[in-house]
Amino acid sequence: MTTIESRTDELLIAHLLRRAGFGGTATELRDYSNLSYEDVVDKLLNAVDSTSIPQDVIRRYHIDQSDLRTRGSSSGNWLYQMVTTDAPFIEKVNLFWHRVFATGQTKLIQGKAMETHLAMLRKFGLGKFDDLLLNLSKDPAMILWLDNQDNHKASINENYGREILELFAMGVGNYTEEDVKECSRAFTGWTVENTDYMALKMRNNTMRPYGYVNWQFKFDPDDHDNGEKTFLGETGNFNGDDIIAIICKNPATAGFIARHLYHYFVADELPVPQWPHFPPINPEAIQVMSDAYFDSGYSIKAMLRALFLSDSFKSKTAWNARVKSPIELVVGTVRLAGGYDGPSSDVYNHIAASGYMGQDIYAPPSVEGWMGGADWISTGSMVMRVNFAGEIVGNLDNKGVRDLISTIKSETGNVTTPESLVRTSLANLGNLQVSDETREGLVQFASSAEDSAHPSDQDVASLLQLIVATREYQFV
Amino acid sequence: MITQTKSKLNYVDTVGFGADVGGRGFHIPVDLSIRPDGRIYAVNRSPMHRLGIRVGICDVNHGWYHEFGSDGTDDGQFVGPTAITHGPDNRVYIADEELNRITVYTPDGEFISKWGEQGSDPGQINGPAGLKFTSNGDLLVVDHLNNRIQRMTPDGKYISHFGSEGTGEGEFNLPWGIDTDSDPSGNIYIADWRNDRIQRFTSNGKFIDMYGSSGREEGKFDRPSDVAVDQDGFIYVADWGNQRVQMFDSNWNFQQSVRGEATVSPWAQEYLDANADEAEARSRFNPFIEVDTDDPHEISSRVESYLWDPTAIEIDPEGRLIITDSLRHRLQVYQRSNE
Repeated sequence: MTTIESRTDELLIAHLLRRAGFGGTATELRDYSNLSYEDVVDKLLNAVDSTSIPQDVIRRYHIDQSDLRTRGSSSGNWLYQMVTTDAPFIEKVNLFWHRVFATGQTKLIQGKAMETHLAMLRKFGLGKFDDLLLNLSKDPAMILWLDNQDNHKASINENYGREILELFAMGVGNYTEEDVKECSRAFTGWTVENTDYMALKMRNNTMRPYGYVNWQFKFDPDDHDNGEKTFLGETGNFNGDDIIAIICKNPATAGFIARHLYHYFVADELPVPQWPHFPPINPEAIQVMSDAYFDSGYSIKAMLRALFLSDSFKSKTAWNARVKSPIELVVGTVRLAGGYDGPSSDVYNHIAASGYMGQDIYAPPSVEGWMGGADWISTGSMVMRVNFAGEIVGNLDNKGVRDLISTIKSETGNVTTPESLVRTSLANLGNLQVSDETREGLVQFASSAEDSAHPSDQDVASLLQLIVATREYQFV
Repeated sequence: MITQTKSKLNYVDTVGFGADVGGRGFHIPVDLSIRPDGRIYAVNRSPMHRLGIRVGICDVNHGWYHEFGSDGTDDGQFVGPTAITHGPDNRVYIADEELNRITVYTPDGEFISKWGEQGSDPGQINGPAGLKFTSNGDLLVVDHLNNRIQRMTPDGKYISHFGSEGTGEGEFNLPWGIDTDSDPSGNIYIADWRNDRIQRFTSNGKFIDMYGSSGREEGKFDRPSDVAVDQDGFIYVADWGNQRVQMFDSNWNFQQSVRGEATVSPWAQEYLDANADEAEARSRFNPFIEVDTDDPHEISSRVESYLWDPTAIEIDPEGRLIITDSLRHRLQVYQRSNE
C-alpha cells in the first residue's frame, strides 16, 4: 500500500477534498491518510454514493419533497444529497454543470423537472461529453428553459441552438450566425409530451386542477426540419444528434469545456463573456485537459483526472485561492458538524441560508449562471456567512458538533495547551491553513479560557466559531 | 375467516381538486375518515403552503360542507397532521406527528381537548402516524417512531401496547396506517411501512400472521402506507412506493392491483370552465402518455390520471374504496364487485 510521504501530501489531499468535494471531514481525512495523492484522486473519481438518506424516508417526512413543487423542496432535496453522500465529488460535478447549464425553477416553476435534470447530470456528468450534450438536449427542463418547444420546422426559435454553441459547448467566436440557424433547424421537433398544455401550465404557474405533470421528452418527426443543413463546414440532413457529434469533435469544444473546468476547480477565470477576447490564464492546463478529452473519447472524468494530477492544480498557489461559493460554505460546514442523521427541517433553513448569501440553488441569476469569485463577498453576505458557520459549529445541541469536540479533546489529551488545541481544531476542520497572524489570534483566544489546560466543550465550541469566522475559512 | 370468490375493483369517480390556500378542495391530503352518514373528513398536510393545512369535509357526490383547523400550535391547530379518525360519538381525532399530540374536535370541528407527551415510556408517544377506534371504544395509536401500537382511552390514558422495533413477527419498522376488522373478531391490521408487509393481530394485540415482501410484482409491496378491510373481509393495501392499491382476500390471495384512472371532477371542471385558456390547451392533453421510465414514482409524476403517493385508504358505508391521492390533491373512488 502506498502512503502519504509528507505533510505536504497531507495538505495536498486536503486541497483536493476542498475542490473535488466540500472539504474533508475529520473522518475523511483519517480514511485517506494511508493513501497516496494519486490513489485519493482515483478513489474520488470512482466513488459511488452509499450513504445518502433514502428518498422514501425523505418523502415520508417531507411529502413536499415528493412532488417537489416549490424551490425550497427541490433544492432542499439536493442539499440532503450534498450533505449526506459519501461521494461528494459527484455532487460537486453536478454543481459545476448547474453553473454551466444554468436552468432555473424560477421560470420552469415545477421542481420535479429540476430533479429530473439533476438526475440526468448525475448520470452523464462524468461520462462522455457527447452523451451529456445529447441528454441535455432531450432534457425537458432545458427544452422549456430555452423555449425549444417553440422551435418549429416552419419557424425556428434560436434560443437553444444559440446557447448550446455559445454557453454550453464552444464559446463565441467558434461558429457563425448561420451555424446558429442551422443548429436550431436540427433541433426542431425536440419538445415535450403534451407541449401546449405543459407550456401553458408553466406560464400560468398553476397547480390546478391536479398538481404539476412532470415533463417527458418527445421527438415530433412532423415538426422536424429534415432538410439539408451546413453546419461548421459539414453538410447533410442533420438531426440534433448529428450536430452534437460535429460539435464534440471540434477542438474549440475541448478548449471551452477545459476552461470551464479550470475556472471551477482551479482558479477564477475572467467572466465567460470575456473569453473570446482574452486567452486562458493557464493555457498549459487547458491543453492537458484537451488532450485527455480527445484521448479518452470526450470523457469528462478523464479531463478531471488529468487536471487533478496536473502541476497547475497541485501548485500551492492554487490552494485556498478561491472564495467558497455559498453552497460550498453551507454544505461544507454542515458536513463538518456531522451532517444530517435523518430527515430534519434544518435542511430548509440551510438551503435558504445559501440563498441569503447570494446563491439560490435552482435559481441562477441568468443563463450564464453565477459569476462567482469575489462577487460572492459583500458586507451583507460576509456577515451571513460568518453567522451561519458560527451557529452551526457552535451548536452544542447538535450531536455532530459534540462528536467533533470530543474528537478534538481526545486528540489533544487530558492536559492541553492553547497551541495544541488550535492546531488540532484546525486539523479537524479540514486541515485548514491559516496565517501566522490568524493562528496567533486563535491561540490568544484559546488562552483566555478559564482553564485553558482543560478546556470545556463550550470553550472548544467558541474556538471553532472563531475559526470559521476567519478570513481563511472563506476560501477553498 | 371468510372465503371469498374472485373479485375486482371498478373505478367509480374522482372527488376534489387542488386548493393550496384553503377553501373547497384539497392540498396534499394524507388521511381521511368517513362518518356513518358518508361525510368524508380529509386532513391536508400541505407542508410548504401553510394556508392549505386544514380538514376539508365533503362527500362522494361532490358535496362540500366546510373546513376546520389551521397551521399552528394553538389549541385546535396542527403542524404535521398525519391521521384522522372518528370516535363512536362522531368526535374527530387528529394526530400530529410533529407536535406529538392528539386533538379532539366536535363533529363540526370545534376544539374540545388535546393530549400527548413526547417520549417512549408507556403512554408517551413519538410520531403518531395512525389512529383507529376499536369496537369497544379504545383508541389505537400507531406510535411509529417507538415502533409500537398503543391502546389508549379517548382522553389519552394508557391501557396497553404491543410491538417493538425489528423485522420479526410482531415487530415493526416505522409502521404507518391501521385498520380493524368490522366483524366481532376486531382483528388489527398494521401497515409495517419499512418492512414492506402488513401484519395482522388479534384485537388484544396477539400476532396472527403477516403478508408481503419487497418488490414491484403483484402481491409485493414497496413501503405500504395504509391498509383497509371491508365488511366481507377483503383487504386493501396502499402500496405507496409502488404507487398503487392492491386488493387481497382474507387469506391474502391476490385479487387485483389498481394504478388509478382519475377523471376530471366537477370541481376541477368548474375551474377549467372559469379558465378558458387552460381548458382549451387541456382539450389536446393526453393524460396517459407512454412513459420512458419504469420508476413508479416518476411514472406517476408524468401520468396525471395515475395515483401519486396514495397515502391512505378507507371503506365508506356503501362499501366503496376511497383513496387519498395525495400529490394529485383528490380522492379516487373504487367499488368492488364479484367476477
